[in-house]
Amino acid sequence: MTKRLQEACKEWGEDLVLYYYGECRDAERSRVERHLEACASCRQLVEDLRALLPGTVRPDDPPQRFWQDYSRELRRKLDAQEEKGLGWKDSLFWLRPWPVVSMATAAVLILALTLTFGRGKWRPQKFLMPDESVLEILPMAENAEFFRAMELLDSLDLLEAAPGLGNGPTRDGGAA
Amino acid sequence: MEARPPAELGDEELVALAQKSSREAFEVLVERYKQKAYRVAFDFTRDREEAKDLSQEAFLRAFSHLKRFDLRASFYTWLYRILVNLCLDYGRRRGRISLEPWDSKVEQDSSLNGAVDRTPSSPDQKAIASETAREIGKALAALSPKQRTAFLLKNHEGLSIREIAEIMRTAEGTVKAHLHRAVTALRRSLAGFAERVIP
Repeated sequence: MTKRLQEACKEWGEDLVLYYYGECRDAERSRVERHLEACASCRQLVEDLRALLPGTVRPDDPPQRFWQDYSRELRRKLDAQEEKGLGWKDSLFWLRPWPVVSMATAAVLILALTLTFGRGKWRPQKFLMPDESVLEILPMAENAEFFRAMELLDSLDLLEAAPGLGNGPTRDGGAA
Repeated sequence: MEARPPAELGDEELVALAQKSSREAFEVLVERYKQKAYRVAFDFTRDREEAKDLSQEAFLRAFSHLKRFDLRASFYTWLYRILVNLCLDYGRRRGRISLEPWDSKVEQDSSLNGAVDRTPSSPDQKAIASETAREIGKALAALSPKQRTAFLLKNHEGLSIREIAEIMRTAEGTVKAHLHRAVTALRRSLAGFAERVIP
C-alpha cells in the first residue's frame, strides 16, 4: 500500500470499488480497465485496495468442541422456546385470529337476527325522557312564576307604604 | 419413491417441512448455516461469546417466525437479515465496536498485506501488527452502521451486491454507495496510519 494517499478521479471512485470486488459487467469492466491504463492515481487506488482490504478480514476459527456445544445449547434453547411458546399460545387461545373472526361473525349474526325478527316485539320504553323532563321542569317553572308574583306583590306593598304614594297612611293620619 | 434424508434436501424443502413443525428439518438448516451465521456475528462483535449468542438468537427468531416466512427471499438471506438487525441492535446497546479482540488476536492472525509482514517475528513487526490491527478496528468502528454492514457483508462474507441489498432491504445503488464510502474511509484512515507508522 502506498504511504502517500493519492486521490482517484472522483467520478470513477464507485466503479473502481465495484471493479475491485468483481461486481462489474463485461462492458463496464472494459471501460474501467481502459481508464486504469490511462490514469495513474486510479491505478494506485486499485493497488491500495488489493493490498489493504484482504488484511481487514480476520475470521475467528473456534475449535470443533465449540461447534458441538453450540448445537447442543441451541437445541436446548429451541426446546425451551417451544415449551414457552405452547404455554403462551394456550393462554392466548382467544386472541388467535380464527376464534376472533368466528366470534365476531357470530355476534354480527345474532344482532342481525335480533333486529330482523325482534322488530315490533321490543318497544322502546326508555325514550320518555323528553316528557319526564317536561314534567320535572313544569313545577319548577310554576314555582318561579309564583315567586315572581310574590316579589311583585312585595313591591306593590312597598309602594303603597311609601309616603305620598298610593293608599298609604298620610302624615296627618288620614287616608290619601 | 423413498424419501430422501433431510440432510440431502434443499433449503426450500427444509423450510417447507419446518413450517409444518418439523424440528428435524429446522436443525438441518441450523447445521448448514451455523458457521456462516456465527462468522457474520463475529465480524460485527469481535467477541466469541457475543457472536455465539447473537447467531443462536437469530436461529431462535427464525424458528419462531418461520410460518410467516413466504420464501420470496432465500432462507439464508432472511436469516442474515434477522442476524444483521440483531448485530446492529447489539452495536447500538454497546455504543461502539470493541477494539480489544483485534489487538489480542493480532499475533496469531495476519496483518495488513503490504503494510507489514504477514507473520510478524521481530518485536518491531509485532508492535506494528498490533497497531495495524487496532487501526483496522478503529476504522471499522468509525463507519456508519449501514456502511459497516455493506462492507462486512461484501468484504468479509463475499455476498453479492444484490444479496446485500435484499438483506439490508434497500436498493442496489444504495448498497454500492455505502460500500464506496466505507472503502474510501477505510483507505483514508489506514493510509494515514501507514504514513505515521511505516518508516
